[in-house]
Order: sequence, then structure tokens, then C-alpha cells
Amino acid sequence: MELINYFIDNSSQILSLLLEHIELTVMAVGLAILIGVPIGIFISYVKKLGKPILGLANVMQAIPSMALLGFAIPFLGIGTLPAIVMVVLYSLLPIIKNTYTGINSIQEQMIESATGIGLTRAQILMKIQIPLALPVIMAGVRISAVSAVGLMTLAAFVGAGGLGYLVYAGIRSINNLQILAGAIPACLLALFMDYTLGIVERLVTPKNKKPSGHVPFFKRDSVQKIILFFILLLFASLFALNFIQNKKIGKQMTIGSMDFTEQEILSYMMKTLIEDRTDITVNQKLSLGSSSIVFNALKEGNIDLYIDYTGTLYGSVLKHEPNSDVSEVYQISNKELQEKYQLHLLNDLNFNNTYTLAVTKETKEKYQLQTISDLSAVSNELVFSPTLTFMERNDCYVGLSKAYPIAFKDVIAMDGAPRYLALMNGESDVIDAFSTDGLLKKYDLVVLEDDKNYFLPYQAVPVVSDSFEEEYGEVLPILEELREHLNDEVMRNLNYEVDENGKTPQEVAEKFLSEQNLI
Amino acid sequence: MIRLENVSKNYKDKKILQNINLEIQDNAITTLIGESGCGKTTTLKMINRLIEPSSGTITIDGQDIRKKNPIALRRSMGYVIQQTGLFPHMTIRQNIELISKIEKKDPKKIKERTLEMMEMVGLNAEEYLDRYPSELSGGQQQRVGIARAFASDPKIVLMDEPFSALDPLTRSSLQDELIHLQENYHKTIVFVTHDMDEAIKISDKIAIMDGGKLVQYDTPENILKHPANDFVRTFVGNKRIWTSPNLIRVEDIMMDHPVTCKPNFSIFYCLNKMKMSHVDTLMVVDEKKKLQGILYASSLTNVNYENKKARDFIENDFLSVHPEDSIIDLLKIIDENKISTMPVVDHKGILKGLITRSSLLTSLSQQFLEKEEQ
Repeated sequence: MELINYFIDNSSQILSLLLEHIELTVMAVGLAILIGVPIGIFISYVKKLGKPILGLANVMQAIPSMALLGFAIPFLGIGTLPAIVMVVLYSLLPIIKNTYTGINSIQEQMIESATGIGLTRAQILMKIQIPLALPVIMAGVRISAVSAVGLMTLAAFVGAGGLGYLVYAGIRSINNLQILAGAIPACLLALFMDYTLGIVERLVTPKNKKPSGHVPFFKRDSVQKIILFFILLLFASLFALNFIQNKKIGKQMTIGSMDFTEQEILSYMMKTLIEDRTDITVNQKLSLGSSSIVFNALKEGNIDLYIDYTGTLYGSVLKHEPNSDVSEVYQISNKELQEKYQLHLLNDLNFNNTYTLAVTKETKEKYQLQTISDLSAVSNELVFSPTLTFMERNDCYVGLSKAYPIAFKDVIAMDGAPRYLALMNGESDVIDAFSTDGLLKKYDLVVLEDDKNYFLPYQAVPVVSDSFEEEYGEVLPILEELREHLNDEVMRNLNYEVDENGKTPQEVAEKFLSEQNLI
Repeated sequence: MIRLENVSKNYKDKKILQNINLEIQDNAITTLIGESGCGKTTTLKMINRLIEPSSGTITIDGQDIRKKNPIALRRSMGYVIQQTGLFPHMTIRQNIELISKIEKKDPKKIKERTLEMMEMVGLNAEEYLDRYPSELSGGQQQRVGIARAFASDPKIVLMDEPFSALDPLTRSSLQDELIHLQENYHKTIVFVTHDMDEAIKISDKIAIMDGGKLVQYDTPENILKHPANDFVRTFVGNKRIWTSPNLIRVEDIMMDHPVTCKPNFSIFYCLNKMKMSHVDTLMVVDEKKKLQGILYASSLTNVNYENKKARDFIENDFLSVHPEDSIIDLLKIIDENKISTMPVVDHKGILKGLITRSSLLTSLSQQFLEKEEQ
């Protein structure tokens, strides 16, 4: 019941993500066909190349999809391109293999007969080989399409959208309804694709016998053709509708964001406010992943603006040693970003989302913990579950374990919100957290004091390219205005609304703006 | 005319064909026959350049086929192969019209031609044109194959064991049909088979091949009667001729030297000659060996033949056969007229031989007797 309500409440978002998902999948599978079928045909002629090419396609499919996606970002940037490239690479194998097998399994005599009556090579290919291999090729396409629907959920990682967005947003905020809202349509879409392509496969298979006796209504060729026609019509009209709705007029701006709640709330706030005040259309690239991915996206010009944190830029991008002077960190970061990357910072957003370590109340009581120094004394008895980012960054775990002599009993890195669950289940004892994290409030956790001032200041600050003021000058006063309504407390509450109360970042952002009379 | 001159084909070290010289006559059915691996199919496929010879030349009406575009060459010929020749994803109509459509011929004419072809091979157009090959029996499929080969009205039709996969009854009826077709269309048909009965039945000429060589190239009759060597003899089979009695001629079984007399011989002399030769009839011929009549011993009993000559008792009203008449015609005449003696004369009336009931019996019984010996 709850689920149905969730679907109804979020129907427009689910539908548009579904359409995005279909669009991406169809594009990817279409490309895979365009690439795979000719390759399959080619290796059926040049048999020597069959093994290496099939082997390569096999290897491609064996690479973990996440790794492939991550690997693609430096070359292809973010957005739909890397997502489609990944899915195309994965879809190639069944298509190439089936095309190759389909063409090879045609009897030699058939080809000789075709040659003998005077067909040219091209005519044999087009009129004999491909039509005869088509049922097998279609079976390959069907396999590809079904797995592509599943794979395409990863597209959300590179900001390409699709149903995966709901799944990952759900995992992050521990919202099962949201996960299901992404997973169920994706599953249905896969079944639907399978059914549709099954009809196509059946229709292209040469008939063996005239239908004898009674054929079930839905199995008749004519009926299936009509079904197919309506399915295509449905797709076409949905896309047309989507296209008309999304028809972008005038100036556009793209805002990127990392993969946690606060970033999304900020993204929606900026989008709503900018679109309300100016005639700029704002595109969002949500959940691009860690800071370095989004930073790269800005560097490559895939996005125009994103919110980063001064400490991250200072420590992990510019590789400076920890420094607790707030304004110095801001100044140095701004200056060096400009020198090295032709990027710069706008005014900070007036809240500091620094790293901290958190434990449950019970742990606190048990070990009498107040500060990180207290923790370091008993660290050999505790299990630490940080994020992958926290482990990898110099200004996080590496530096922390030096500043405080910390040596945990075990370190189990896991991404996102699941580490809160691990903590609550007693599988770990300490986690890293952001000071504005709503989940801290949700799970009633205790934040340990950074008594040695190890962590850098993490002021939220918009990062833009040097040409930003020139292009989007009208946005600057809007961000200034937004700044005045934000602080640590406000952010933690907003995050809590999403992470605990199950509201969407968009709802929360819009509600906040209207409560503050900004829109 | 298709002419093969010194055609050889090697595949690596293996000699597939060695110095084939063959002239294939126009408007006739020429059969290439031999055991599998003898090179008969290779020879056929060289004519439409599915296989290129290693050496030698093939000409059609004097033109070297290597100088022709292979696609155009193939389209100028019909090509029929074993059952798999039809494309399973195309209807019968699409199969027949494939090449005509590709060549963008007038659609109306294509349609007419297709109907004509279906009628030619004895298939109901309305019933079959929109079906797929797999819905047809093997024999029907092969009829469609023939219809497709004839559709573009080619001068030459190549047939590669078109009937071998069919059951004997269907095969036989398709052979009859092919002979019938040929009477109307007069194509130059090159036909590959391994079935000697089939070859004898349909061919105007047979080329027997063995181990990549042409062993004998002749009419079915000559091959049956005069096998060139032991291979042909075994391949053809000694008794094969008796399975095709229409190929047995009067001259094959007649006595070559009948006992004769002249019209002016005395009866006394004639009677004496009969007695000496153990015969009861004499063929009466003139100086030029032209048959004048028959002198029967039975008509000489109880008559006074003093000073009488043969011409006085001669039977002038007699039946005769020609040497090239078939044994079937001969038997028919003998049976209908209840006669025991049949002179064999050529078209000028010159006596060539004689058939009697006893000579007939001897010849016919030979096949059974020899079979016993084997």
C-alpha cells in the first residue's frame, strides 16, 4: 500500500526517469546492433579474425561494469555518453556471436545455389544470409536488450539518469520504497523488452507450416503485428511528449552534484531559484559520484557549476597539508585552482560540512568517549566503517591515523548509507560522517570532537570555470541571496527531512525556498 | 554449343579433372555421370564459373567464358540443385521471381512468366505461389526449382543431381516431365547424375567420367552396346540394355545372312537349298539384293514344279521391318500378324537380314542365360 502511494506521489518523476531509461537503452542497443552485426558478418567472412574478436568481446563482458564506467570517465566525461558506451560494449558479445553463428550455420549449398543462379555477394548477404540468420541475430539482440535494461541502472553513476537514479538514491538514504520505485519499473521494462523483441523474433522466423488448426488469438501473426505496432506507437508518442516537454529554449546551465543528499538538495535549490528568477534552463547532473569525478566534469566543461568543500579542494585536489585556518584554505584554494585549472570559487554558502567521526550512544557510554583522542586510546578494540572516499583521501584516514595514533581492530570500507546500517547492527563501531549529515540525527549518533583540529574546514562553495561570470553573471546575486538563508543547522535539518522522513530532495528544497519566501 | 578444351583442375596436389575435352550440343540433354568423386559436378560448376579450371578453356558459342562477367553468365543459365536449392525464407513466388526482380524486369511480365512456369511444371499457381518451400513435398520443391531455372528463359540449364534425393516414384515422374519439357522448350541441358537408369532415360548424350577423366562420350544406345572399356561395362552393367528395350534395334538381333535365291532359280534348286540350310523359307532377291518376295516351302508341296522357276511361287505380299526399328515395334508386328518370318530391309528395299521366331527366342533368352552364368 505504502509502495503504491509512493508510486502515485512520484509518478511524474518515475515516468520521466523510465523514459530516460528506455531512451538510453534503446540508443545503446541500437548502436550495439549497428556495430555488432557488421562485425559478426565480417568475422563470418574473415574466419581468422573470429576468435580474437569474439575473445575480445568476451573479455569486455568480463570487466566489472563499474570499473569500465569509472575507466571511461577520464576519456568520455560524464553524462549519457559513457553510460551508452558501457552498455554498448556489454551488449556487443551476444549480438556479434549470434550474427556470426547465424550466418555460419547457413548450409553451404544454399549459398552455392544463390551464387549459381547469379546473385552478387552483396545480394547474397542482404537477401539470403541476413534474412536467414535474422532469427538467431534477433535472439542475440533480445539477450542484449534485457541485460542492457539492467546495466543501464548504472548510468545514474555518471549522471545520465534513468531508473538507476532512484535505486542509488534509495540505497543512499536507506529508502526501500525509492529503491523499489526504481527496481520494479526496471524489471518490468526488461520483461516488456523481452516480450516485444520476442514478437519481432517470431515474425522474422521463416514459417514452416501454414497455421493448422486453431491458433491462440495472441499468437496469430496479424495480431502480433498489431501489438507490435501499438508498442512502437506507444514508445514514439511517449518520446514525442517527453521531447516537447523538455524542449529547451534559450540559455542553459548544467549543475553537477556528488552522490549524497546535501548535494542534491543544494542542486534542486539552485535549479528552482535560478529558473524562477532568470530565463536560464538548469540541467542537473545528479549523483555523479565522488568529488574528483565532479571536479573532472567541470574541468572538461560537462557541467558549469558544482558545490565542493574547501577542505576537499585544498587537501585532495591541491594536495596541501592539513590546515585549520578557514580563510587561508579558501584563499589558497581559489588562487591555485585559477592557476592550475582556470577554475575558481564563488562566495561560500555559509555552512561547514566537515568530516567527523561518529559512534552510537552505547559505544560512547561503554568507552567514555568525548574526543577523537579518547577514541584512539581504545581504537584497537573497535571496527571502523568509513566510506571509500574517506579511505582514499590523504586528508582523511591517512592523515588522521598519523595525527591521532589510531589503529582499528578492523577497517571495512563501504560506500554511502549502508555503513550507518552496519553501525546500527553492531557490525562496526565507528563511522566517518559529515557534520551536516541528516542520518546523524536519524540514528541519534554521537559526534566525537576533533580535539587536535585535524580535519580541514569544509566550507561549501560553488566551483565554476573562469568564464562563468561572463556567461551567467545574473546567477551570482541569486547565490548570494541563497547564502543568507543557509547555515550548518539548516542543512542538517534539511538533510534529515530527506534521509529520515523519506521526502525527496526536490520536495525539501522547494519547501525550504518557499518557507523562506525566496520563491 | 558448350565446348570444354583440355580442361584440368587441381586442388593442391590432387588432380580433380584431367584434360577434359567435351562438346555439349545445343538443344539436347547431356548427362555427366560417374561415381562420386569422378569430377562430374566439378565439370558442371565450371560451366557457370562456380569453379574455375586450373588450365584449359571453356567456350560457349565460341566465346571464352572467362571473358564474361560471372554474374551475367550465371543469370544467362538456369541452375537446379538438390532439394536445398530453394530459399526457405522466401515464398515460392519470391523464389521464382528473385532474379527477374533483381534485374528489374517489367512486373507484369514477371507475373505472367511465373504463372506460365508454374503451369509448365504442373503446379497449381493459386495454391502454391504464396507458400513457403517447407510446406511442399520434395517433388514439388524440385518442380519449383525447375520453374525458377526456366523463368528467365535461359538457353542453357545446368542441373546438379536434381532428382537424387527423391523417392523412386517421384523421381520417375519428374524425369518424364523433364523429357516432356524438353520436347517443348529445347534447352541445352547439362545434367549431372550418378543413376545410370536416369541417364539412359533422359539423355541425348552421356559423358561417363572416372577418376577425373572422360571415359566415354556417346549416345545412350552406343554406350550400352559398345562400352568403351571394362569400367564402362561394369558401370553400365551387362544387362542394362534389357531394362531399356526401346534401345534394342532389329539389327541387333537379326540374322545377318539369310538364305536367298534369285527369281529365275529353278524350284528344284530352291528346294534343295532349303533342305541343305535347314530353313523353310527363302528370301527372293534380285541382282542388287533388293527383296522381291518370299518363297515358302509350304507353298511348294503337292505342286508340279517341273520347269518352274522361283518367281512362279513367290509371295509378293509380305511385311518387313527396318534395321533401326526397335524390338518393341517388331514384337508388336509379329504378334499382330501371327507371322514367323520377318525380312529386314533398308529404305531402298535392300535385304539386310531376317528375323524368325527362333532367332527372336534365342536373342531374348540370352539375357536370362547369361545372368545365370554370372
